[in-house]
Amino acid sequence: MAQEYDIQGMVAKIQALRKSAEELKEISGGIPTVIRNAERILADVRMLEININDVAELLDK
Amino acid sequence: MKNEEYWNPVLETLPPEKLQQLQLKKFKEIVTWAYEKSKFYHKLYNDAGLEPGDIRTFDDIKKVPKIEKSMMRDIQGKDPFPYGDILCVPLDQVTDYRQTSGTTGQPIYQADSWQDWEYSTEAYAYALHAQGYRAGDRLFLPFGYNIFIAFWAYHYAGQKLGCEVVPGGVLNTEARILKMQELRATAMGATPTYVLGMAETARKMGLNPPKDLYIRKITVAGEPGGSIPATRKRMEEAWGAKVYDQVGSTEIGHWGWECRQQAGLHVNEGLYLVEIEDVDTGETIDKPGKRGKMVVTTFNRMAQPCIRFDVKDLIQWNARQCDCGRTYRLLEGGIQGRADDITKVKGVLLSPTAIEEVVRDIPQLSNEYQVVVTKKGDIDDITLKVEIIPEYKNDEAAIRTVLTDQLRLKTNLGYNIEFHEYESLPRSQAKSRRFLDQRPQHH
Repeated sequence: MAQEYDIQGMVAKIQALRKSAEELKEISGGIPTVIRNAERILADVRMLEININDVAELLDK
Repeated sequence: MKNEEYWNPVLETLPPEKLQQLQLKKFKEIVTWAYEKSKFYHKLYNDAGLEPGDIRTFDDIKKVPKIEKSMMRDIQGKDPFPYGDILCVPLDQVTDYRQTSGTTGQPIYQADSWQDWEYSTEAYAYALHAQGYRAGDRLFLPFGYNIFIAFWAYHYAGQKLGCEVVPGGVLNTEARILKMQELRATAMGATPTYVLGMAETARKMGLNPPKDLYIRKITVAGEPGGSIPATRKRMEEAWGAKVYDQVGSTEIGHWGWECRQQAGLHVNEGLYLVEIEDVDTGETIDKPGKRGKMVVTTFNRMAQPCIRFDVKDLIQWNARQCDCGRTYRLLEGGIQGRADDITKVKGVLLSPTAIEEVVRDIPQLSNEYQVVVTKKGDIDDITLKVEIIPEYKNDEAAIRTVLTDQLRLKTNLGYNIEFHEYESLPRSQAKSRRFLDQRPQHH
């Protein structure tokens, strides 16, 4: 069923989300709302990784 | 089967050999994490002469020492307070505290980071989606949210799916029923005991739940009733709704659920590793047909990892492949009992679910019952307390005969049977304690 989806496309977008959220934290200048909301985004990004990226590695083999 | 049937079609239909590869990879990752971040796990593995790199094949998983509740009790209450050195993250990353109900001893404290809580919610989202919950459903929670894990994840997972969630926490049963009716709630989550109790209360209020209320899906948890056919039948008839079982615990998370096929509990094998071990030999049971004790690993709960947790619950694999198309394996009959002394009576491993199946299959009996085990001299003595519905009061002798025969057949034990006044046995909203072990050695 996995072949019906653009898994590699999703993987790339999820990686970009992580990079973007981490960079946002870095340039936050310590503004609490930026840091904490970026942390929450990263928790959701991790759920996307668990559901897609972690599985994608196996599908390629 | 349409793809929207699955919360994650990529993972839920993964071929078994790929799923096992994923499980091995995840298992190695969580063991490595715990070894590096937790003094407790580091010492445990060091003492066993094991390093994470020693895990190379699926069979190597068995080399990893198991943990059990007593070990967690020993470490908690110390720094980092109150979790002790099982903790893998700094305390300031812990956002959620929960604890076990303590039915088998001192409660276990559970720390979760926000990411861990997302993981618990994600696991529950798999369950609700598989049970047909969708955006547009209005979920009602007739439950007092508190320090225990129960139904918190149902609430958050419902939101994640896009459902509307109505918290019915502090209301009494009558007020909850009226609010459900007023808002036309379409689904609810509760313990089997409370699902049955609410229906009784609704009828006393002059309401007929299938006709006067709008509940069409019920997810039950906290007790085995959802996987006991006779109990499920009672609940479904009382509400005119589909009833689905869901299992989990504070330390593990939400590892199993029924899908719309109601063919048994699916183990969420993408997020959890469930092993079944022979109670006597410890050998792995891979095939259906033999009951053993559950050993479970949660793959991505990072603050307080749960790795090869010896739960002592009894389960068995189901030979059936579910028609839903998921490759996640099914269990036969849900949680069937416990593997410790709590349910050994007269030397026989007693399955409380078997007693419930017998009682709930007799329509002249109420929903409630109680099992009391005592000791007379050196011999265990077991009493079953039941209530006859008033209109069947004259059938007592016939009911006693059926009960005695069926209990002997299903549990291999003889019981003293006591008939009590209708509605005189204790009712509960949360986990019911219907099995009372009053033997001296347990005190």
